[in-house]
Amino acid sequence: MTVRGEVVLDVDGLSVGYVRRDGSINTVVDSVSFQLERGTILGLAGESGCGKSTTALAAISYRAPGSRILSGRSQLQGVDLLGLSTQRLRRIWGSKVAYVAQSAALALNPALTVGRQLSQPLAVHLGLHGSASRARQVELLESMGLPDPARALRRYPFQFSGGQQQRVALALALSCKPDVLILDEPTTGLDVTTQARITKLLRGLVTDFGLGCLYVSHDLALLATLADRLAVMYAGEIVEAGAAGAVVSKQRHPYTQALLAAVPSVRRPREVVGIPGRPPTSVVLDACAYAPRCRYVLPACRTGRVAMRDPGDGHAARCIRLEEIEKLPALGSELAAARPGRDVLLEVDGIVCAYTGAEGPAVNGVGFVVHGAERVGIVGESGSGKSTLLRAIAGLHRPQAGSIRLGGIELAPTAVKRPRSVRREIQLVFQNPDSSLNPRHTILDIVARPIRLFRDDVPRARERETVQELLDAVKLPSGLLYRYPAELSGGQRQRVALARAFSAKPSLLLCDEVTSALDVSVQATILELIAELSEQTQTAVVWVSHDLAVVRTIANRALVMRDGEVCEEGETDELFAAARHPYTRELLAAIPELLPA
Amino acid sequence: MTTTSDVVGLTTAEVVEEEGRPPAAWRAILASTEGRIGVGIGAAVLFVIIFGRFFTPYPPNAVGIGGATTGPSAAHLLGTDSLGRDTLSRLLVGGTHIIVIPLIAVSLAWLLGGTLGMLGAYRGGTVDAVIARGFDLVMSLPPLLIVLVAIAALGTSNLVLVLTIMVVYLPRMGRLVRGATQAVITNEYVAAAQARGERTRAILFREVLPNIMAPTAADFALRITYAVIFVATLNFLGLGVKPPNADWGVMVADGRGYINLAPLGTLAPAAAIALLSIALNLIADALTQHVTRGGREIVPL
Repeated sequence: MTVRGEVVLDVDGLSVGYVRRDGSINTVVDSVSFQLERGTILGLAGESGCGKSTTALAAISYRAPGSRILSGRSQLQGVDLLGLSTQRLRRIWGSKVAYVAQSAALALNPALTVGRQLSQPLAVHLGLHGSASRARQVELLESMGLPDPARALRRYPFQFSGGQQQRVALALALSCKPDVLILDEPTTGLDVTTQARITKLLRGLVTDFGLGCLYVSHDLALLATLADRLAVMYAGEIVEAGAAGAVVSKQRHPYTQALLAAVPSVRRPREVVGIPGRPPTSVVLDACAYAPRCRYVLPACRTGRVAMRDPGDGHAARCIRLEEIEKLPALGSELAAARPGRDVLLEVDGIVCAYTGAEGPAVNGVGFVVHGAERVGIVGESGSGKSTLLRAIAGLHRPQAGSIRLGGIELAPTAVKRPRSVRREIQLVFQNPDSSLNPRHTILDIVARPIRLFRDDVPRARERETVQELLDAVKLPSGLLYRYPAELSGGQRQRVALARAFSAKPSLLLCDEVTSALDVSVQATILELIAELSEQTQTAVVWVSHDLAVVRTIANRALVMRDGEVCEEGETDELFAAARHPYTRELLAAIPELLPA
Repeated sequence: MTTTSDVVGLTTAEVVEEEGRPPAAWRAILASTEGRIGVGIGAAVLFVIIFGRFFTPYPPNAVGIGGATTGPSAAHLLGTDSLGRDTLSRLLVGGTHIIVIPLIAVSLAWLLGGTLGMLGAYRGGTVDAVIARGFDLVMSLPPLLIVLVAIAALGTSNLVLVLTIMVVYLPRMGRLVRGATQAVITNEYVAAAQARGERTRAILFREVLPNIMAPTAADFALRITYAVIFVATLNFLGLGVKPPNADWGVMVADGRGYINLAPLGTLAPAAAIALLSIALNLIADALTQHVTRGGREIVPL
């Protein structure tokens, strides 16, 4: 029988680089060490580009195209994986070491039935065929909690929901009873309730199978509730590591502290604090990588590499001031609440939206009002109809029934048919700035367009100046006017999208998952910005999101949508503190939470 | 902007190219070896086509300047044809047709087909059905048949050639633009423009067109190549240029009966046609490669 605590994978001093076009090496992961123990989950947290996925793959000796493992060891029960030939690795991958990627939809072969896909590793690694293989397949799907496993085996991946697909992918990974399980953002993109079910399942599997599990995620709150131990990465290095509870409750690295301060919460409306600046693009070898962004920086931080230091309780950090940092109070305070006016700005009544070919309507008789300068959140899981509702208000989706009134005036169903003044007053910000900013237009073109269309008060000669003022207002550095969106970071692009929306001087800003594609530290800065700008300009905001904590942070009133209908509505403070509808309660219970209740 | 990306990378899918402004198609062509070779050959052939007329040793249409069907000699470097006309002189003036007609015809096909394709893809529904089925209808007819019928009915002239070749290529180019547009209009910047209440024309030409230029430019270069060969074929068949005017296609046709006596009378114009189409092909290739890389690669200049 397996022993909990036995080290199954021992990674020591792992460094990985990518080969540049000129042949030189760009080191992206440096001297990363960790151990995976049986029956425990190690959470590897960090923002995009910090090297966490590269680390996870390199630890099992998988080299992403263009990457090179520069040094280090990764011992699986005494055998160094990094020195093995591809042939020998193939025998270990899938049998002793399993990997589950973020998108099960991409990891599963759409042309093969689930049964066919499960039979392959069983035949290759365990030599199981025929009825023995089938029995094991059924057993596997059963342990993943999939209903009717015998039937599921005959179905194709697309016939399953996203959460079920991820269960199938887990079954595939665990088919040969591996010792090590590597998960890379396995629940990112799934609904919270689905995520909660998957992580609960995973916790049980890790214990039952005695797996050594590495769980890579950007979601600190999730890792804090799921993982036993937690390692935080920044710029290719682990900056803090320890028991998950210890890392979350008393951070010893300023980056961890700042990261936690950026995480919004459903428990109380607190100000989320963004991290200024951007992470370095490769490993910093001669100084503390976080020094340029650190609020506690000392001259010594810039002159030499800082080593991981453990004061003796198994909770180490890469900071020369770690004893002081842990005693500092957490960042973040109450957020300035919206001050809604008394006049009704937007009135939505009995909206029904359907897509041709869909079974039921996507939005089924939704009605609500937005007052001037109010911030209303609409939360719901995927398929709840929240985005369609927003598109209908924006005039991008023609509703089958219902009415939309702005300032008491009935609006035409399509934007083209609405008068210019209405189109000016309603502005839209999308989820993904990659897609919402035309890649062939300069920032100036993008932001100036609504000005030319809607702002009679700005003469042509003053357009450029006005655009620059807007870019300043969204806190973008100067000199971006003639740049293209691809030259900007994700957060900067979303700021451009905001500048474009505010350039028309709207009275109503429609936001569709505006921060969902962003890192949590960037999300915090965007939330700060939207709160500030909407406050200053007295603009009402309708904020659509799947993320309840974000809605809690930004909105003063919220609607919970499910299957095209509003199931609960109320002031955010009351709604989140004492939800009445069972679905709202289910949603709230599913959310991993950093703050104590 | 030619900043290479130094990215703290995860998997390659997550590596964000910190690209500069996508290089112009022209820079992409010059950056690749085949592109440079293509441009070199193309420039040489184009020079002959444009300025060749000023260097003719004899009047190109003058009959009996030399003996009939002679091989190369000091007086006639490429020999003479069956009517004793100087092959070199005819070669130097005979290229105009073969490049000008395809250029005009393909440009027209691109403008009209592209506009229809964009409109169909953007509007969808009935408009798209009518346009797309119209394209299919024309494409179902063999190109040579279209030209033969048109020439039989209207007689041969430059205008008829241009129009028929345009009809042949219009649906093919329109189709590509339609496909490219369908991919582009799913982007939210198109929805953003719709929400601003922009007109269809503004959305197509301001938002969509710049984003489909790269693939259509590659297609354009390739179509020119086909059209050059097509015009050469028509001239070879005697459906294009009227005698006595010199043309490479006609020269190949006329000279092939005497290939034993004066091989260069056929081979020289054939080589000229081949060089022109190879040059255009190389350029098209360079463009296509640039496009399939999604224009993401930063091309050092």
